[in-house]
Amino acid sequence: MMPILSMIVLIPLIFAALALFTKTKEQARVVALAGTVIVLLLTVYMYFNFDSTIADNQFEELAQWVPSLGITYHLGVDGIAMPLILLNAIVLPLLVLFTWNDDRKSPNKFYALILATEGAVIGVFTALDFFLFYVFWELTLIPLFFMVSIWGGPNKHKAAIKFFIYTHVASLVMLLGIFGLYFAAWDMTGTPSLDIPYLINQFQFIGSGLTKDMIFLALLFGFIVKIPSFPFHSWLPDAYTEAPTAGSVLFVMLKIGGYGLFKVMLPMLPFTASPNLMITIMAVLGSVSVLYGAFLALSQKDLKRMVAYSSVSHMGYVTLGAAGLVSLSVSGAMFQQFSHGLIMSIMFMSCGVINSTTGTRIINDLGGLAQKMPKLTVIMVLTFMASLGLPGLTGFIAEVSVLAGSFVNLPMYVIIALLAIVITAAYHLWALQRAMFGVYNAKLGTVTDINVFQTFSMGVIAILILYFGLHPTPVFDMMMTNSEHIVSLMATMGV
Amino acid sequence: MAVGDLAFLIPVLPALAFVLTFFFGKKLPTGGAIIPIAAIATSFVISLLITLNLLANPEEVVSQSYSWFAMLNIGILVDPLAAVMLTMVTFVSLLIHIYSTGYMSHDKAPSRYFAETALFTASMLGLILSDNILQLFVCWELVGVCSYLLIGFWFEKPSAATAAKKAFLTTRIGDVMFLTGIIVLFSDLFKIFNGNVPDGVYILRFDEIFAHIPDLAAMNANILGMEVSHITLITLLFFGGAVGKSGQFPLHVWLPDAMEGPTTVSALIHAATMVTAGVYLVARTFPMFIAAPDSLMVVAYVGAFTALFAGTMGIVMNDLKRVLAYSTISQLGYMMLGLGVGAAVGSEAVGIALFHLINHAFFKALLFLCAGSVIHAVGTHDMRQLGGVAKVMPVTAVTMIVASLALTGIGIPGTSIGTSGFFSKDAIIESAYLMGETTGSWIPYILAIAAALLTSIYIFRLVFMTFYGKPRTDYGGHESPASMTIPLSILALLALVFGGLTSKIFNTFVSETFVNNFVNMNIHELATLGGYHLAEHAGEEPMLVLWLPLIMALAGLVITFLIYGLRIVNMDSLVSRNNPIYKLLYNRYYQNAIFTNFISVKVIYEGFAFAGRAVDRGFDWTVKWFSDLAIESGESLRQFQTGAVQNYATAVITGVSLLVILIKVVMEVLQ
Repeated sequence: MMPILSMIVLIPLIFAALALFTKTKEQARVVALAGTVIVLLLTVYMYFNFDSTIADNQFEELAQWVPSLGITYHLGVDGIAMPLILLNAIVLPLLVLFTWNDDRKSPNKFYALILATEGAVIGVFTALDFFLFYVFWELTLIPLFFMVSIWGGPNKHKAAIKFFIYTHVASLVMLLGIFGLYFAAWDMTGTPSLDIPYLINQFQFIGSGLTKDMIFLALLFGFIVKIPSFPFHSWLPDAYTEAPTAGSVLFVMLKIGGYGLFKVMLPMLPFTASPNLMITIMAVLGSVSVLYGAFLALSQKDLKRMVAYSSVSHMGYVTLGAAGLVSLSVSGAMFQQFSHGLIMSIMFMSCGVINSTTGTRIINDLGGLAQKMPKLTVIMVLTFMASLGLPGLTGFIAEVSVLAGSFVNLPMYVIIALLAIVITAAYHLWALQRAMFGVYNAKLGTVTDINVFQTFSMGVIAILILYFGLHPTPVFDMMMTNSEHIVSLMATMGV
Repeated sequence: MAVGDLAFLIPVLPALAFVLTFFFGKKLPTGGAIIPIAAIATSFVISLLITLNLLANPEEVVSQSYSWFAMLNIGILVDPLAAVMLTMVTFVSLLIHIYSTGYMSHDKAPSRYFAETALFTASMLGLILSDNILQLFVCWELVGVCSYLLIGFWFEKPSAATAAKKAFLTTRIGDVMFLTGIIVLFSDLFKIFNGNVPDGVYILRFDEIFAHIPDLAAMNANILGMEVSHITLITLLFFGGAVGKSGQFPLHVWLPDAMEGPTTVSALIHAATMVTAGVYLVARTFPMFIAAPDSLMVVAYVGAFTALFAGTMGIVMNDLKRVLAYSTISQLGYMMLGLGVGAAVGSEAVGIALFHLINHAFFKALLFLCAGSVIHAVGTHDMRQLGGVAKVMPVTAVTMIVASLALTGIGIPGTSIGTSGFFSKDAIIESAYLMGETTGSWIPYILAIAAALLTSIYIFRLVFMTFYGKPRTDYGGHESPASMTIPLSILALLALVFGGLTSKIFNTFVSETFVNNFVNMNIHELATLGGYHLAEHAGEEPMLVLWLPLIMALAGLVITFLIYGLRIVNMDSLVSRNNPIYKLLYNRYYQNAIFTNFISVKVIYEGFAFAGRAVDRGFDWTVKWFSDLAIESGESLRQFQTGAVQNYATAVITGVSLLVILIKVVMEVLQ
């Protein structure tokens, strides 16, 4: 059997190196498209050979690396990682197509960074060894940092540094947690190992409750900042807003924080000394994020900043659903990551298109764009509806699963989140009304609708939002399998 | 093959018509109107055949379910309740579509119009034949978004874009309550199953829900110090959704503004595809309401109050469509009252409310289409500029008068002679009387009787001001084309005779909804569960009770004739901005100022959101303060910043090693 996971991690990195050596935009984009399409084909092959009825890691690859420290080269995917890899594999080639006709400085570096991000993110999703996991985790930072600081908006340097330092500090705290787990297990068994499933399993045997809670909180902090959740979200609006469109989309693809929550945190949760406290922390952070992000989005004047805050709000469902600890809520939270990736890609693409054709993103300075940009309007209305949770589109499946599932254990927190629903509808519709409908603002000059590449890439994502909204089972089933597995662990511990 | 197997086509065909019209309608004549017309006509035929089949064989309820995701399903259920709704919606929608080919002939985007109305119809049909509460909610929301698109159809008009947004957000408040009800219901059922829902059990299917009503009634929640049974809580939340969708007080504010769309859209919203959804929701989940008498009381009071409240505003409006909008709100109030009286008359209430719903659909669609015909011809909807339209538009005038007679409920009590509204509205008012007798709650009855007088006043005022007398301005005008007048005539015929023809069988048929092989409920047992006993329908009301609604209707006719017809009574002193009551009514009780300008804009938008911004800056400052602290302490290390990569690498490795040692020490200490 071919090492398919190594291939989908390494191919983007190899193509990234190739792209660096291209001379023109035309060459760079072809290399980028080729790399991402190969990954897509391999991922689709993998998807169809994936058994969604079992919660185990599949397509595993295992090789010794540094035995003295317990470092292995261990890759594998389960039902938590598979949909997220699929998400990246689908969106990235479309992102390359979206930028097909754009002119920008050093396109070779630009496309190299896109490819490098894809490799690093998929690396995080496939790594089953904490060493590899951390390397890929940190590797995602670097291309995004350059993406913002080279092609970003007016405040790009400040935003890039803020993003880098903020999330890097969080990563270091997470690293402390990993070390804690590593050494504790080493002490107990006498053999070093950084294997993720092994260490998660060893966690329960750690004697000291305080140690367990410290490890858990350190890891949780690393993931929560990356999601990001209130109150550690303040890097996000700047980074998302200042990033170029492609950078914002890459940020959205960076679902590693939520992934860590499901993959690492939840299996460890029942064995912490105070699981109820941990659940409460997550539930508070999640539900407050939902409401807080919605209010902040409502108060924004810049369309892209509004979308960035709506992202905080939507990601709150991920934390809340994870804390819900019912198979439906956990699956819903996983599905929210998938759904959010699709929806936000179009949201940021729309912001990018509007900004480049009108020269502004201030909602009140726009107006009546629907008359000049009918194609964009259709796609945007559909996506905005998905984002505000309209049934028939992916956002609803995620939200209703999280809310209904979490209500079983966390009714009060669900009510906090429910309060945000009308606010969420309000800022979406307000933005649509001001920017797209009404009288066309003649000061905007001549604006042009999206080109054929942009129509294609946004259209395909829009169709996927509709498809998975009507028929979520192709990814929901595997999420359900894994979340049932996680929840059964809880049940045995009586949490 | 039984005709029931085709039931799934009823919503699917209009949905397909949406796709086809959306993508290919532009290339076809009249915007591809033929596609939705053909699709909806087919749906109508299927619905009618299923209804006739159910009439003959009440046991042949159509029920099919398929897994959707997790323990949730999609499926269809066509029982008598659903069947009559399907038939009405497809029929009225079909006529409106035919009418629209004439009405929208001058519009610049007819294909988008027909695509969206087809989707609107499909969503409503999907809502009606849902066999589970979640799918009903899904379609419910799709109905909402279609109304958003259609009210804002002329989106380049700022007022249309605003009205669309207002409609969506106001109904969304109700939707959140509805969703909360579903969430509470789900979590209760999940607990009843102890978290182990067997494969193949669809937790939110109506039969599953109804089977667990006793368990739900046994669960109690403490809300603000009051012990509330979960069944009461859930039904009240469901009713909250119905209040939003069906324009009940206080969430009715979107409906009068919703006329910013084409008049045909108003006809669809008011008659067939939207506002009836709330009434249908309560009817569909009626076994739950029966077990929650407090909720039914709330339904009755809110309904009766809305009927009167909307009527008071209806009598002062000068806009043709606004009068009709308030009329709809008022009539929906009657329907809700009809359901609420279930506290006294049991499942018969569903039949009574549904009967009024169907009759109302015919005459309200007719009223709107007549109004549309007038507006189409004369180009204004301000009644003060009209008058004498009957001379130029005889067909429209006659059909409008028929619709008005049906709305006011003219007929002879004790016989089967009367307009449609006579049979259904009087049944509601009489049941309200019965409720007063059995429960001692007389207020709904009194409100309903008073509303009957207002109904008559506002509609005949409209008729006299528009059609009677001499033109007040030079508006020109002509009778509308046949594509418009034929649907008017068909609806007029139904408004006239449908009630009389079906009043005997309708109630029996619909009341069978809850006694079949899908759900088999003992309504009396459920009522006992709720702690009360149903009245046996005696029909022994005093003569005056039977005649009073008619007397009210005729009184209204006489009053308006004196004021607006003969002009004997001069209202100028009353109808003036100096009269505080008139001012209050004309300004619609200042609801716009309170709800939109104050609560939405000032409190939520400016208040909360900007407070949030301040807090957010606070977080940013905190983080910055920490980082500044770190940077200041880092200043002293500045000499090490050489910019060479290997130096950084060395530093990182040293740092990590130190970290490792640190952790090692900490671990030792902790253990």
